[in-house]
Amino acid sequence: MWAMILKEFLELRRDRRTMAMIIALPLLLLVIFGYAANFRVDDLKTRVVGPQAAQVAQQLEPPFDVTSVRPAEGRADGEKALRSEKAAVVVVTSARPGPPTALIDGSQLFSAQSASAAAAASNGALRPQVLFNPHLKTSWVMVPGLVGMIMAFIGTIVTAIGLVRERQAGTLEQLAVMPFRPSDVIAGKIAPYFVLAAVDMVLVTVIGCLLFGVPFSGNVAVFALGAALFLFVVLGLGVLISTLSQNQGQAMQMALMTVMPQILLSGMIFPLTAMAAGVRWIGYVLPLTYFNMISNGVMLRNAPISSLALPLGVLAFMAVLVFSGAVLRFRRDLAPSAPRAVPAKAPALAGEAR
Amino acid sequence: MSAGSGPRPLAEAASVSKRYGSFAAVDEVSMQVRPGEIVGLLGANGAGKTTLIKLLLGLAVPTSGTATLFGQAPDRATRRRLGYVPQGLGLWEALTVAQNLHFANAAFGAADSHLTPALEAVRDRPVSAIGLGLQRQLAFTIALAHTPELLVLDEPTSGVDPLSRARLWDAVHAEADRGAGILVTTHYMQEAQQCDRLVLMSRGRAVAEGTEKDIIGTTTACEVDTDQWSTAFDALDRAELPVTLAGRQVRLADTPPETVRTALTAAGISAQVHEVPATLEEKMTVIDRATAHS
Repeated sequence: MWAMILKEFLELRRDRRTMAMIIALPLLLLVIFGYAANFRVDDLKTRVVGPQAAQVAQQLEPPFDVTSVRPAEGRADGEKALRSEKAAVVVVTSARPGPPTALIDGSQLFSAQSASAAAAASNGALRPQVLFNPHLKTSWVMVPGLVGMIMAFIGTIVTAIGLVRERQAGTLEQLAVMPFRPSDVIAGKIAPYFVLAAVDMVLVTVIGCLLFGVPFSGNVAVFALGAALFLFVVLGLGVLISTLSQNQGQAMQMALMTVMPQILLSGMIFPLTAMAAGVRWIGYVLPLTYFNMISNGVMLRNAPISSLALPLGVLAFMAVLVFSGAVLRFRRDLAPSAPRAVPAKAPALAGEAR
Repeated sequence: MSAGSGPRPLAEAASVSKRYGSFAAVDEVSMQVRPGEIVGLLGANGAGKTTLIKLLLGLAVPTSGTATLFGQAPDRATRRRLGYVPQGLGLWEALTVAQNLHFANAAFGAADSHLTPALEAVRDRPVSAIGLGLQRQLAFTIALAHTPELLVLDEPTSGVDPLSRARLWDAVHAEADRGAGILVTTHYMQEAQQCDRLVLMSRGRAVAEGTEKDIIGTTTACEVDTDQWSTAFDALDRAELPVTLAGRQVRLADTPPETVRTALTAAGISAQVHEVPATLEEKMTVIDRATAHS
């Protein structure tokens, strides 16, 4: 038995990636759940509009964090600000007597819950009205996030495993000696995963909308653009991982290490605004964070493309960066640099047995 | 065939080396394959045969020296003129026999080629569901489908039964007769006779080149005739002589007969010792020993 235990330890010691995962994963989960697992939002970005804006703004207490006071604007402007995610709450005041209306962005579930609770506790000082997700249904917020999560799974894990399988089977070498351009091989390998992930994305979106009554209130083209950019990023990650992995087990480990943080830190489960600043920045370098902004914005808030310029731009930048890196590495595997003429000593072979 | 004579080489290594840190997988190797000739790359496992092939095909970059295909660095155009059967066969196991062939034909822009009757019988079965012999046949059929000018076969007969091996060599000869150059690696010394020219590799170096006769040269071996073959073997082994057994035949490569007789006499064994030409395998052992000591 001791021999068996020793053999296992020796094998584990050589498998550095598994060892790293055994040590890194618990630490990662500890940090994430310690600092990020917080559903309570204490700061609600609030805009106050209408003729009484200045007075009402002074009376608002935490969690309402007044960031903008605009007496000249009205309810329509307030709704527009919520749609563009410029505020989580817009307090609309009027010249008539009565409490101002707190328009709450229901697409930000936990912010909306905090805002509703605070408004309810105001003893009638605020009249809450939740927009975009009036009944604060969790499924309405989860479905747009799930679309991205499924694309991340297929794009990264399935692609990485598929490519590594090709290398392990020796068929990647066969492709390399066929008269294909490296770009042909890369495009040919990636296209089916792109199509599959896109089909899955449509399926999840349509079934999610039909099954849970999630609205799709925005522009399909904007959603498709965001999804395509996000797919390029996650497919690129899959290709990149495949070039760094020797076998399917390693590819799976590495892919999970990229997908897990995206699920936990993209704002899909825990609100980004409630995370400790030290962890929140991780969320802001993850592609799923930006796709969530787009899918959530388009599906629930009918967000205009102008208000989604930032997440679209970041995803486009990430797509170019990750995909280029992945293609360059994959290309290097397929077609190493052309042999250079290097001066060498006299041939070792003189044509006779020595 | 000496370098520089005859038609232009289809594949050529010129003092090519491939190093991984301090380890030289291929060390200053020069060789050529010309149209119509079968060049056998012989050597034990780990001798550097497969690495040399990868260098020639452009799948690995030389640390020094040059490797060329059809007179230039391997590229898309040169690969179109090449047929390659790797050790692992390079077949897509989830695809059927017919789908594998169709894919390769599409890649090379070749017309639909025919399968052998044996492969035709399993054309719609996934490659994973057919035997290794048929898989090798398929890999070979695919490599030949676009009538390549150069055929590179890495251990094509490994794990193949004698009849299939003979058929495969017939096909290789037919390709050479058509004018194709063939580069074939094997660690079966018996297959050396099938080649027009041999390049022997040991520890990354090309240690000998020529026909089997050229390579063996004047190297001899001693054959020991005795009924006490087992005792004789033990005695010669104890005397630290390079003794081998071929059935019940005790043989010693590159060892003077007097040395063998002295060792046998000292052990009290009565035997006849004859000096005979060494086999290619024995020559290989001798070269390998010399390389190890150098």
